[in-house]
Amino acid sequence: MPGSDALWAMLPEHLLLGGMVAGILCALSTRTRALVLPLSMLVVAASAVAAFWLAATGVHAEPFPGQYQLTPAIAQAKGWLLALALPVLLLLRLDSDDLQFPLLLVCSLYGVALLPSAMNALVLFLGLELLAIPVYALIVLAFRRPQAAEAALKYLILSGTGSALFLMALSLLYGATGSLGLDAMGAAAASADPLARGAVLLALVALFLKGGVVPFHAWAPDTYEGASVPVTAYLSTLAKAAVLVVALRLFGDVTLPAAATDLMAVLPLASIVWGNLAAIRQPSLRRMLAYSSISHAGYLFYAFLGAPGGRDEAVLTYLVVYALATLLAFAMLPADADDGRRDRLDQLDGLFHRRPWAAAGMTVAMLSLAGLPPLPGFTVKFAVFKTVVAAGHPVWATLGLAASFLGLYVYLRVIMRMFMQPAPDHAETPAVPAVPGTGQAVAAGLLCVAATLALTVAPGWLFAQF
Amino acid sequence: MGDATNAGAMHALLLNLVLWLPLAGALALALLPRLTDQAVRTGTTVLLAVQCVPAFLLYGAFDAAAPGGQFATSIPWIADWGVSYHIALDGTNLLLVVLTAFLGPLVVLGAWTAIATQVRLFHALLLLLQCAMVGALVAQDLFLFYLFWEAMLIPMFLMIGIWGGARRRYATVKFVLYTAFGSILMLAAVLVLVLARADGAGGALSFAFADLLAAPAPAALQPWLFAAFALAFAIKVPMVPLHTWLPDAHVEAPTPGSVILAGVLLKMGTYGFLKLGFPLFPDAVRAHVPLFMTLAVVSIVWGACLAMVQQDIKKIIAYSSVSHLGYVMLGLLSNDLAGVQGAVVQMASHGLVAAGLFLLVGMVYERGHTRELAAYGGLARQAPAYALAFVLFTLASVGLPGTSGFTGEFLVLLGAFAGAWPRYQAGDALPLALAVAATSGVVLGALYMLRFARTFLFGPVKAPHDTPLTDLTPRERGVLAVLFAAVLWLGLFPAGAMHKTEGAARLYLRQLAPAAAVTTVTPAIPSAGAAYAR
Repeated sequence: MPGSDALWAMLPEHLLLGGMVAGILCALSTRTRALVLPLSMLVVAASAVAAFWLAATGVHAEPFPGQYQLTPAIAQAKGWLLALALPVLLLLRLDSDDLQFPLLLVCSLYGVALLPSAMNALVLFLGLELLAIPVYALIVLAFRRPQAAEAALKYLILSGTGSALFLMALSLLYGATGSLGLDAMGAAAASADPLARGAVLLALVALFLKGGVVPFHAWAPDTYEGASVPVTAYLSTLAKAAVLVVALRLFGDVTLPAAATDLMAVLPLASIVWGNLAAIRQPSLRRMLAYSSISHAGYLFYAFLGAPGGRDEAVLTYLVVYALATLLAFAMLPADADDGRRDRLDQLDGLFHRRPWAAAGMTVAMLSLAGLPPLPGFTVKFAVFKTVVAAGHPVWATLGLAASFLGLYVYLRVIMRMFMQPAPDHAETPAVPAVPGTGQAVAAGLLCVAATLALTVAPGWLFAQF
Repeated sequence: MGDATNAGAMHALLLNLVLWLPLAGALALALLPRLTDQAVRTGTTVLLAVQCVPAFLLYGAFDAAAPGGQFATSIPWIADWGVSYHIALDGTNLLLVVLTAFLGPLVVLGAWTAIATQVRLFHALLLLLQCAMVGALVAQDLFLFYLFWEAMLIPMFLMIGIWGGARRRYATVKFVLYTAFGSILMLAAVLVLVLARADGAGGALSFAFADLLAAPAPAALQPWLFAAFALAFAIKVPMVPLHTWLPDAHVEAPTPGSVILAGVLLKMGTYGFLKLGFPLFPDAVRAHVPLFMTLAVVSIVWGACLAMVQQDIKKIIAYSSVSHLGYVMLGLLSNDLAGVQGAVVQMASHGLVAAGLFLLVGMVYERGHTRELAAYGGLARQAPAYALAFVLFTLASVGLPGTSGFTGEFLVLLGAFAGAWPRYQAGDALPLALAVAATSGVVLGALYMLRFARTFLFGPVKAPHDTPLTDLTPRERGVLAVLFAAVLWLGLFPAGAMHKTEGAARLYLRQLAPAAAVTTVTPAIPSAGAAYAR
């Protein structure tokens, strides 16, 4: 029955929508304002649980034929994406008095939840816009610092350009194939029609732009630096994951023509190389992680060199592990009243002597991002390169691995600061007032550390998820 | 029957204990509240001494006649990829596992006072490193091996970088980047190798050593794959010209770091060649034997020459390691049973002797606070017990008969000549010339070590800052005595160890032999080596 399908299959989305409405109502009264943040967390957790539950029931539903579908694999991916939003919400510190933050985040998550289910390019577009529009506001929310406005504007213009390119690609696609269904992109990739070729090319460029792949990456460092820490965490994990989910929906099962294969190899490789090289010189952790996310976008798109069918597993597992490590790094940042100052890399000097557990957590994050065994960052990178080699591109895989070697120094540098440097004079002093929400950041960190270590011991379990 | 199964399960459990006990110790150090530095040191020593017990028991129980890995545990781990948690002891890793466990408590005891700051972190890292080293040795699955192989990097990186000398950061970054570069290319080769084998085996992936060794890689791929594996292992050994990270790492590392580096970590490179690097790619190896033999001999001679001109006492020992590990490589390439067995013994021997020498150098550094050779003199009169220990380990390093150094180097040279002679008769003079050149390394070794001992121990009494050096404490004497007892044991009674590893050495030679050739690998001369062993 279509009606009940729309009710049950879209349960995670409905929960998010309900949470949004309830949150806005709560925000109206001064007595219930304090409930907004816990309510948002509860709603996000509930929708993640709902998605996992739907996956466990083995659901196969298509409430809106040709537009929206749910399968166990899709529900599973959705559940993981929503679960990863929990540490982001926990990361709220300074901004916890801004009620807009949790509300806008839940709003944006609605777009994220929609994407894995999309059966139609227009629904994908809708999801991407639902995701992006609240983020513009989220970036401006850090208005205490002048960089925030600049960051928001850059993100607005470049993300808008990406959306425009994407729409252009869709119109070309419709012109060439007469369809906006997901298999239309496969047909377009196989055809020699210049219109269809243009559609594939534009769609790829749009995804590269939104995903921050060289040479379309320049917005990322400034935007990441200008936004507040939790928003940067959201941008570098879930917003990036959403772009990759769109890429998987569009190109996951498409056999790419030879020319497109080279494009899919060269630009991500350039991303890995440049992201890693530029990250070495960054003075702030957020800029460093921005360049790191550029290089990780390279690894993620590298997975598309693999054979159709194996890409979902490689990309989704990579996203989960990468997001956990990035969120862990943000959670371990020293608490400090000044959002701009606590993010300077020299704040990490001698961190081990002051806060050994934070340093240990940051070390786990850095090693996982660097892809050093036995942490899961290695296993998922291994999975990506395994698909690339299996598809018959050993040379590209070797080049990619050699490029990842460059990244090692980036992350080791952070570890060296924490363990091998004396603390700077202006390091956080007891005089700094306690920052609200620090306990939550610890909870977020524990969540990410526990998950990362669990995946170290049982990597097979993660691969069985997708 | 039931008893045998029980004993098998028991032994498998013991091997797991050897592997995971240090990790449990590291976790305990991280989590236990309020530990004094003394408690941390004592606890670590006790734990590592306990780790020795199952290691020795397993050595005793190791059946020389049984083929393949023993005391194995094999559990599917990443089932989709055919990765399993598969560990076992065999003739190639037996001695090295025992050596690693044996050195563990001695390192902590010997460097009791060398580490004064952040004692807890240091010992936690030491235990992590111990776990990773044993893991890399006992792993029988390529994925697992790679995990442990890389996991050795970070603890050592922090050890050198936090507790090292003045140029510690430069040295530690150089160490990590050097070794990681080799490993990352090896990783690409691992992927190609495993997927190529899966293509030939109906698509089922497997990372098990046994499966990979059973089916050699396609001939077209072998040179590339071999190059990648060889680069990773040659950096670790290290072979000239890839050795330049070693002196820096050794000189800057704190004493326990140097001891572990020389005692166990360097052997990972030669072990990698013995276990994987050579047997996986027999065709490519046979084509490149002259190149690798030349590099091995260059390492022997050039390492010795460099050791001769050093003014820093740690650098002398560091370069002597390059030279001594050249013998291991030469033995592995000799295509002769005596040579291969000599290489296996030489690995263990160098582990003991270099560990002793680095401990001795560390002990004098703690007293004099300088590593300048010129600052010291006449130690025999200032510290007679120290001088005695130094002379004993120097003689072992030089290869005095009766010490382990003699057993290893003699067998390697014997094997090198035995392998070279038929080739010489067939018109190929290179192996023989190389064997002769390698022999000169023994003379050079005696030259630099005895010169070192002469200026250091004899001559006019000199001490840095003009404060007389104190002699060894009972703790230091005890550590060195136990270590030297092991050197003597391996020197005087090598038959037991050689008997246990003989099967593995024969298997290795069969793996390297051309598929068509008759597998007789015991011509007349190597039996002399076997006779020596008995």
